[in-house]
Amino acid sequence: MNICLGLLESSRPDQTRIFAEIGGKLIDLQLAYAALLSQSPEHQANAYKLAAFYFPETIAAFLARAEPAKKCLDETAAFVRRSGVSELRGPAGEKIAYDAQEIRLLPPFLNPEKSFVIGFSDRARVEALPKAEIPTGFYKLPQTFVTNGAPIVWPKFSNEVDADGCLAIVIGKAGKRIAPEKAWEHVAGATLMIDITARDINKREGLTTNNLLGKNFPSSTCLGPAVLIGNARKDFAALEVELAIDRVVKQKFALCDCVFTVEQIIARWSILGIKPGDWLAIGASMALQGDRLQNPVPLNIGSTICCSSPAIGELSHQIVSAGGLRR
Amino acid sequence: MKLVTFIHENQERIGAIDSAGRVVDLHRAYASYLRNVENSLSADQLAVAVLGRDMVEFLKRGEKALDAARKANAHAEKNPTNDLVLDRQQVRLMAPVPRPGALVSAGKNFSDHVSEMSSKKGPSDPVAFLKLPGSVIGPEDDIPHPPEVKNLDYEVELAIIISKPCVNVGVEEALDYVAGYSAFNDISARDVIRAENKTGIHLMGKSFPGFAPMGPYLVTADEISDPQNLKLSLRVNGEIRQDSNLGYMIFKIRDMIAYWSQLGLNPGDVLTTGTPRGVAAGRKPDQTPWWLKPGDLVEAEVENLGQLKNRIVAE
Repeated sequence: MNICLGLLESSRPDQTRIFAEIGGKLIDLQLAYAALLSQSPEHQANAYKLAAFYFPETIAAFLARAEPAKKCLDETAAFVRRSGVSELRGPAGEKIAYDAQEIRLLPPFLNPEKSFVIGFSDRARVEALPKAEIPTGFYKLPQTFVTNGAPIVWPKFSNEVDADGCLAIVIGKAGKRIAPEKAWEHVAGATLMIDITARDINKREGLTTNNLLGKNFPSSTCLGPAVLIGNARKDFAALEVELAIDRVVKQKFALCDCVFTVEQIIARWSILGIKPGDWLAIGASMALQGDRLQNPVPLNIGSTICCSSPAIGELSHQIVSAGGLRR
Repeated sequence: MKLVTFIHENQERIGAIDSAGRVVDLHRAYASYLRNVENSLSADQLAVAVLGRDMVEFLKRGEKALDAARKANAHAEKNPTNDLVLDRQQVRLMAPVPRPGALVSAGKNFSDHVSEMSSKKGPSDPVAFLKLPGSVIGPEDDIPHPPEVKNLDYEVELAIIISKPCVNVGVEEALDYVAGYSAFNDISARDVIRAENKTGIHLMGKSFPGFAPMGPYLVTADEISDPQNLKLSLRVNGEIRQDSNLGYMIFKIRDMIAYWSQLGLNPGDVLTTGTPRGVAAGRKPDQTPWWLKPGDLVEAEVENLGQLKNRIVAE
């Protein structure tokens, strides 16, 4: 099951809603659940209230409602399929099913406390490096997040920009110092992420062991389009993530290509405490051919970047000029 | 004006410090002003609309909110009833900006600190790293000593709080984007940083919960005539460890704002200046006596901005 975060055209920016992709439509989950509840005499009177509780404004808040909310999601999806997507209406006749172009899609998580990319985590890259004992990572500022379709603005200060496809493991249950064998209990799903890097700046910053401007300029983190719900290794083991530049596949990987297991990564980073809506991404710098740091896949103004995984969807972006560009 | 965020009756509120050092509840004082002076009907709602709900929203509202805060402050001084004005003992101060959108901390920015950390020379461009905003704590909160950490260190710094959207600004205009200043302590786990730097970059070593004490006030920029010439000092259990002046910064406050505005800064974002010499990691020949341990009291102070007093406690 895939869920995403969006806004109706007429809504205020804080009136975000959770949608599920069912039968080629985006289903407003809160209203769909209200419709289901209103069919039962027992819940009819409280249908809207209960639906708003289990399907609140953000995916992070939905995940915080834990198993009961996930059960509601399954029931709602079954109800929508049973009723037929096109026939479906809310308790008072409200529209529930939308075409993708009617919804302004948002990054599934807008303001997580922990949004980390685990660095140097792919086998291809680390063969050339000293073996890492701990999964280190860097932080992507929430203000840099964009989602599918958004233009990526070439940063004025850079002459060399590239992209890495990542799989972001989404946290669903809060915890601190989580034991590896309990790690999957804290996972709620996965989404895609593209880590856009101003490589010239990043190399210079790397000399001083830091990593900031090269990874955190506006629109440098593409996140989404949807969250694939699941919390077991088997749910994600077969996922393949591909990154294509101008339709040519440049990167391809699966969870098993990461030198660190999800268990190790969660055990390490939960030392700081993790919460629903936090995410930990793997895959940055995973390359099909050669050492990409020496031989980067260059992006240009007009390049299209597409990160995809069949079960999650795709993030598709074009690089645009901010004006006053050096290139 | 000295602005604060505080907890009173389990609620997070914003306030200002009055001439007697007490805390004026800005929403209540402004609502009282609107009700009693301007005969406003929906004073409470209007106060929230004008001041915002928290410090970041307050800063986003700019001059209009500051002006309302000044009126509220003056009104409370004339009418110091105990619902408008609270004694310091009645409240717990949080960091003035408890949840900055971004917390950008400079490294290697004082030449004496660069040499004590045995770096060869200072950097050619400003160096900084991100601390997690979630590590921010209040001026008198405890700092948890994580069991994973052996070498816990301190770094007194100046925190610069951004007032308005700040993108690609020039050095000359940079200070126009400052809402105010606070004292800051960049708590650092040196052993964790060292382990992270071996094969990656450091993040955890600077961002455990409680590793960013800030406050006690946001002193508005108009009250600090020369922010680049302020003394800063740090004591551990009363013993002076750091004692310097912001004049020794390599990249000045203006340079830092101009450079990091390339990130796209927002109201309430915080830049910190980096620290002068005197950290535990720089002690010669033996660092051991200076690592922070449970029970230690760390007092970090910046001239005219007040003092942070945080106790280290075992986690």
